Amino acid sequence: MNKTEIRSERVGESYFRIRHPSGLTLLLCPMPQFNSSYAMFSTEYGSVDSAFRLVGEKEYFRIPDGTAHFLEHKMFESEKGDAFADYARTGASANAFTSFDKTCYLFSCADHFKESLEILMGFVTDPYFTKETVDKEQGIIGQEIRMYDDSADWRVMFNLLDALYVRHPLRIDIAGTTDSIAEITAESLHKVYGAFYNLHNMVLTVAGNFRPEDVLEVADRVLKPAPVLEVERLAVEEPREVSKKRVEQRFPIAAPMFCLGFKEKPGDKRQNAVDSILDEVLGEIIAGEASPLYRRLYDEGLINSTFGCETLSGRDYIATMYSGESRDPDRVCGEICDEIERMAREGIDEEAFQRNRKAAWGRYVRMLGRVDSVAQALMNTWLSDMELYDLLDVIADMKKEDLEKRLREQFDREYSALSVVYPEE
Amino acid sequence: MSEELHRQELCRGVALSTVTDAKFKSNRISCNILIPLSWETAAVNAIVPFILRRRFASCPDFTRLNERLCELYGASLDGDVRKYGGYQIVNLSIQGLDDRFTLKGEPMVRECCELICDMLLDPYLEDGAFSAVDTRLEITNLVDTIQAEVNDKRDYAVSQCASLLFEGEPFAVKKYGREEDALAITPASAAQAWRQMLRTCPVEIMFIGSGSSGAAAEIFRRRFEAVERQPMPYRPAPVSAPLREPRWRTEHMDVKQGKLVLGFRTGELRTERELNAMKMMSALWGGTPFSRLFVHVRERLHLCYYCASRYDRASGSILVDSGVEFENREKAEEEILHQLEAVKNGEFTDEEFENTVLYLVNGLKSTTDTLGGMENWYLTQLLAGSGRTPMENAAQIREITRREIMDAAAGLRLDTVYFLAGKEEEHE
Repeated sequence: MNKTEIRSERVGESYFRIRHPSGLTLLLCPMPQFNSSYAMFSTEYGSVDSAFRLVGEKEYFRIPDGTAHFLEHKMFESEKGDAFADYARTGASANAFTSFDKTCYLFSCADHFKESLEILMGFVTDPYFTKETVDKEQGIIGQEIRMYDDSADWRVMFNLLDALYVRHPLRIDIAGTTDSIAEITAESLHKVYGAFYNLHNMVLTVAGNFRPEDVLEVADRVLKPAPVLEVERLAVEEPREVSKKRVEQRFPIAAPMFCLGFKEKPGDKRQNAVDSILDEVLGEIIAGEASPLYRRLYDEGLINSTFGCETLSGRDYIATMYSGESRDPDRVCGEICDEIERMAREGIDEEAFQRNRKAAWGRYVRMLGRVDSVAQALMNTWLSDMELYDLLDVIADMKKEDLEKRLREQFDREYSALSVVYPEE
Repeated sequence: MSEELHRQELCRGVALSTVTDAKFKSNRISCNILIPLSWETAAVNAIVPFILRRRFASCPDFTRLNERLCELYGASLDGDVRKYGGYQIVNLSIQGLDDRFTLKGEPMVRECCELICDMLLDPYLEDGAFSAVDTRLEITNLVDTIQAEVNDKRDYAVSQCASLLFEGEPFAVKKYGREEDALAITPASAAQAWRQMLRTCPVEIMFIGSGSSGAAAEIFRRRFEAVERQPMPYRPAPVSAPLREPRWRTEHMDVKQGKLVLGFRTGELRTERELNAMKMMSALWGGTPFSRLFVHVRERLHLCYYCASRYDRASGSILVDSGVEFENREKAEEEILHQLEAVKNGEFTDEEFENTVLYLVNGLKSTTDTLGGMENWYLTQLLAGSGRTPMENAAQIREITRREIMDAAAGLRLDTVYFLAGKEEEHE
């Protein structure tokens, strides 16, 4: 077994990276002063994986939209019953989620760590799908989809992604549609499971009050060695151009909500993760609370405290989005684009750069003080071919010139789109 | 590990409570001003933290203030309003890295405490009133916030049910107040509300983190001693339970899924044991992913996408909220009540009972792992008049018997049923 200690001199902390004989990567960060532990078992498979083939296969298998999320729901069920009932006996608080590029199963507990871990590893490695259970789930997920249809926050963002991307499956809701999930069968779930829930494609991250030996003991008992499997995902040829510049919807809400997105040119996944940290700092320099633009928009009543910026990045995509409520989303959008162009011309103010970098440093160090954020960050960095503490190095080594280059090349009005949700008339 | 709360009175009606634990990398410091809730004053009090967050006398520029926070390693400074029972709580908080983790050993605790005192005690005033520009902006924002309640249909339905349930009681007052009152606020009336709360209201300061609270005590004492105060004592509003027939109310909106909320009253519970039994009852009935409501109403009968109960000790109520398909409304209501009846009759297994204990104990132990969790726990304890640690409460929960849970269920009275339905022409 290959065990490495990853240390950070900057914060004086460390975690272990272990390659388990089964093929699974274990990232373990003991934090013994805490009461609880947080464990996540994750696979690099999400809603954007729309077609794949195994090496040697000719045809790509097209995955119905919403399958990753559907599969997540179904994994909790086994022939004996459901995993929540098992967790009930340990007191752990368990959950799971599916996003664009990953599916994660997790629990948090203060006692009975080993028992909960055994449940987690057990049900995620034990698929059980039948026609009856699949049919039943279609009804339940149909209800979940309708619940999201009533969420304006959710709609304004997905409408934006649909406008930014021409072909990329980011355009599609993570849960799919009632029609697309109707295509899912027990067979298609087995096929997808076999390809993506291979332990070589997965990671277990744990942070908090636990003993690494306990994790290894459970892993040795529960996990069977997985064959090395090469899965080829169908590459999406996404142009830099956006699909639509603007998209609108009406909703029973009080004030208009908007989401302005810049479609950036992706690199490899590590590059995208690094760039997303640069974009996070850049986003703050352009329109964060300490920026002149924020002040101007706030004073004119064009934005309020819901205004914020975030970067979405993954294997083959990266986009930065500004969102919030506004009486005049087009004005806000225009002002942000004008400010970006001005800054690209005149350069970034040195003090603003230093301040925002320092703030980012503080945010990331603070993140290392929570068991749930450490387990999540270990998972996210693994997905990006990074080590956890690389995040701090990216911030420490950040250069103003790098940000200016991104500003000129990636934050381009031409490759932006605006999504607005208006109140009903 | 230290999870003990140390509370000291700094001056009249101003107390500092600290919990320090070296495991944290940051400190969270908050000032909580406790104001009796009333419809007339809710909006004008609610605007105060937002105006204060804009600037203060020694830093009269909003952008400069935010730059300062960046320099303090991205410390987050927030002003907001919370609600506990019949009290409105004006909350100003700052969370920042501890001194130990700064690059140059900057005194973060001192800087953060001074900053929050500057903001609360020495605001930017023009002729004794708040700035007209700030006030106008924050009125707009407050009105938006009040109106935005409708954006999240789940929260909206819960809030509508609570307003009906507590009609005529202080618990019914919404934490941001009413739109018409927000529109009537002036720079002078907001400044007057600020003076009034500083002069008359109890202040609970919380310091949770890894830093030294000694500096905090010294700074807050010095700053608050300079304020003229005649504080009223904190008196929680009594929990009542008017006996009346249940009421049903339906509202129509363009929604894809119905939201059904059932409001129950617990009546007045006198002992800690009774309160803990009600907490357990609510968890067993609908507070966990293996509860009766989750397993039977959602998983077995597919009547709802979510269905959960939450117990609010301060107002003596339990609200059950669920997302249901329009046509399942009646069946869902029936089944929710049927499950309550089952709990009342003791028709739950020992395993369900024990698992509920484990779940609650797990949650309590985990509370102490985050700054926000600790602040919330201890502030609630102070407001509820008890000073239990999460561990002590876990021990109390373990003592509750099956019989006590059945009794708690028997004491629950259905009062109000609220349903958010689709547009009438489409669904009726």
